[in-house]
Amino acid sequence: MTTTQQPAELAWLDDITMTELERNPYPVYERLRREAPLAFVPVLGAYVASTAEICREVATSASFEAIIPPAGGRTFGHPAIIGVNGDVHADLRSMVEPALQPMEVDRYVDELVRPIARQYLEKFEDAGRAELVADFCEPVSVRSLGDLLGLESVDSETLRRWFAQLNRSFTNAAVDENGDFANPEGFLEGDQAKAEIRAVVDPLIDHWIEHPGDSAISHWLHDGMPEGQTRDREYVYPTIYVYLLGAMQEPGHGAASTIAGLFTRPAQLEEVVDDPTLIPRAVSEGMRWTSPIWSATARISKEPVHLAGLDLPAGTVILQSYGSANHDTGLYDAPSEYDLHRPPLPHLAFGAGNHACAGIYYANHVMRIALEELFEAIPNLERDTEHDVDFWGWGFRGPTSLHVTWEV
Amino acid sequence: MPRVSVGPSSVEAPPGQSVLESLLRAGVWMPSSCNQGTCGTCKVRVLSGAVDHRTSPLETLPQEQRDAGLALACQSHPAGDVEVAPAGPASAGAGEVRTHPLRDLVARITGLEDVATDTRRVLLSLDEPLAFSAGQYVELEVPRTGERRQFSLANTATEDRVLELHVRRVPGGAATDRWLFADAACGDEVRLTGPLGDFRAPEEEADDGAPLVLLGGGTGLAPLLGIVRTALERHPDREAVLYHGVRYASDLYDTERLVDLEQRFASFRFVPVLSREETRAYRTGYVTDAFLADVASARGWTGWLCGSPALVESGAAAFKRRRMAPRLIHREKFTAAVPAAPGSPSETLTSPLTRTGA
Ligand code: HEM
Ligand code: FES
Repeated sequence: MTTTQQPAELAWLDDITMTELERNPYPVYERLRREAPLAFVPVLGAYVASTAEICREVATSASFEAIIPPAGGRTFGHPAIIGVNGDVHADLRSMVEPALQPMEVDRYVDELVRPIARQYLEKFEDAGRAELVADFCEPVSVRSLGDLLGLESVDSETLRRWFAQLNRSFTNAAVDENGDFANPEGFLEGDQAKAEIRAVVDPLIDHWIEHPGDSAISHWLHDGMPEGQTRDREYVYPTIYVYLLGAMQEPGHGAASTIAGLFTRPAQLEEVVDDPTLIPRAVSEGMRWTSPIWSATARISKEPVHLAGLDLPAGTVILQSYGSANHDTGLYDAPSEYDLHRPPLPHLAFGAGNHACAGIYYANHVMRIALEELFEAIPNLERDTEHDVDFWGWGFRGPTSLHVTWEV
Repeated sequence: MPRVSVGPSSVEAPPGQSVLESLLRAGVWMPSSCNQGTCGTCKVRVLSGAVDHRTSPLETLPQEQRDAGLALACQSHPAGDVEVAPAGPASAGAGEVRTHPLRDLVARITGLEDVATDTRRVLLSLDEPLAFSAGQYVELEVPRTGERRQFSLANTATEDRVLELHVRRVPGGAATDRWLFADAACGDEVRLTGPLGDFRAPEEEADDGAPLVLLGGGTGLAPLLGIVRTALERHPDREAVLYHGVRYASDLYDTERLVDLEQRFASFRFVPVLSREETRAYRTGYVTDAFLADVASARGWTGWLCGSPALVESGAAAFKRRRMAPRLIHREKFTAAVPAAPGSPSETLTSPLTRTGA
């Protein structure tokens, strides 16, 4: 891979490491936004778009199309919905969209998610303490989507483990000076998760081919296909993996980040607890504040382009850093602060253009219902100050744990 | 005549009426609480047509919100036909649920009784019954001033011919010091508008008989009397506790009435609490602390708070500490009345809206 010659003042980019990005990407990206909002970052082996303007431009420009970042491609295989274009992309969108249309989501989402949220709350609501990421946010997220997809037989712990393994594999992005993966063994846990997934899902697919059902995956196999034919499973699997990683993980991340953000503003937490109609706004600010899909998707130029003062040849890969774009000081005052009352500007947490998230409406409702039930059951929720709140992740980001207490 | 539309309803808007008023007068429910532009509950999005914001305060409706097409229904007046949609909290069912129509009435003072220090019970007799829900309030026109003041009703919905108000004297207050505690007399006519407000007993069908706790400060007792009696009449066995907080024993009133209620309803408890005086007869401290000491868990209970902002705030925090669901907490704050017109003397500004005085 050709690494572009960096101007001397950007030599600091050579020293960026994956570990520091995963621990806290904000300082590096803040400097990128200021000094080089579109820049080649050697450890990532690609250009990085870090401001809202450039991310939006790249996502919506006709000169660019989607490409899956290399470590993502290594993890998911082809054709994953996030990395294909043209007819294949149109077909995969038409496959996933019916279950995610707002009217359709309105029909099922409350009945699906609310009992699940209640079921997890019942396990700890009288205990006076909990770790909300593992006890609530993630289980509600995976159980809801698991049941929607037709994976009722897979327990929530397994679904959580799968998304975590796929996540670490997908974001195992570091490359060496030759552009080769720096840690190839980092993909093994993703491969192991995929083997487990195939062992569970293959028999389900066999069944759904013969007996079409109501589950989303059964619809993916049959919808829009001529009578008697189904989509090939090898064609569908990469997008199943997209779901089993991002769609499983992100509503949990988003809900946990929203709660963590509200903990930094106790008066705003109180307001939201008192008036649950503020929850959608609180969630929206949570997604801006700590964007769950922080930097996991990419675009590639189809032709030579001039962008942000740079001339880029055809075939230039740009990583979309939506988590950074959402901290753009050109748009947001004090972006690193959670503030329910900041002017509700649109954010980029769900991406933009024709590859924007297909699950926005569904995900927002999952997070809303989860928080409604949480604050209804435990209106006196407090952060457990004996534990710190640590965030982790560059590709995907959220709190690793969220310890809370309350009087019972 | 211009028309105001919301959801499935469309009503006439006579000149001089706010958007909210024309809807309420036609019996169309809209989220609303203070009717004076301070709470923001009545915020609407103007979908078509335009409104004149009139007296809408900038604190409640900043310029950016006006530019974005928001308006306060209670302050804005239609400029021609206008269609609005509720934009504030608790907007479900707006424009659909029929409510008690807002009306203008002339009443006659038939009772003026000193019941405690600087506290009067005022009875207003109506020629025809007024439909309202327990807990709501009415606005009285203060004679000779052109001002209006809000007073909570202590009645249940069936006590619809003689309205009962509890009034606390505010030194220099136009409605109290200079009228109801001065030259007001039985037989006088009073103009009033009502019912108003969203602090009210639920519809009977929606009332499942869950336990309730009520905290009232001073004349904040008034709406709680209507609400608790309604609740007990519907479900005589339900658990209910009413805390009445005052400073001194001489500020207490209606204790006999409440003790009598305790005797009629075995699961009802009345707890007076004095904050500035220690006696053998009554508990000392704040009502919220008394509640926290008495009630271990309020899960599934409904809560009712009426009094100063401090009481309402600490009460809500105490309810939540005892795990009451926030949507079951009802609040009526005695907030400051706003001047009738920008630039009016500040005396009117400081007079508490009390729903029970000023
Ligand atoms: C809070 C939760 C979520 C967040 C923050 C989120 C965010 C995103 C982002 C940033 C992208 C990439 C957009 C781009 O490259 O411009 C994306 C893609 C996608 N998301 Fe989500 N997502 C969430 C939940 C979900 C859920 C629950 C589902 C499905 C049920 C879903 C389905 C998808 C799909 C199918 C794509 C690929 C779209 C394409 O490439 O055409 N997402 N999401
Ligand atoms: S601001 Fe209109 S009702 Fe309060």
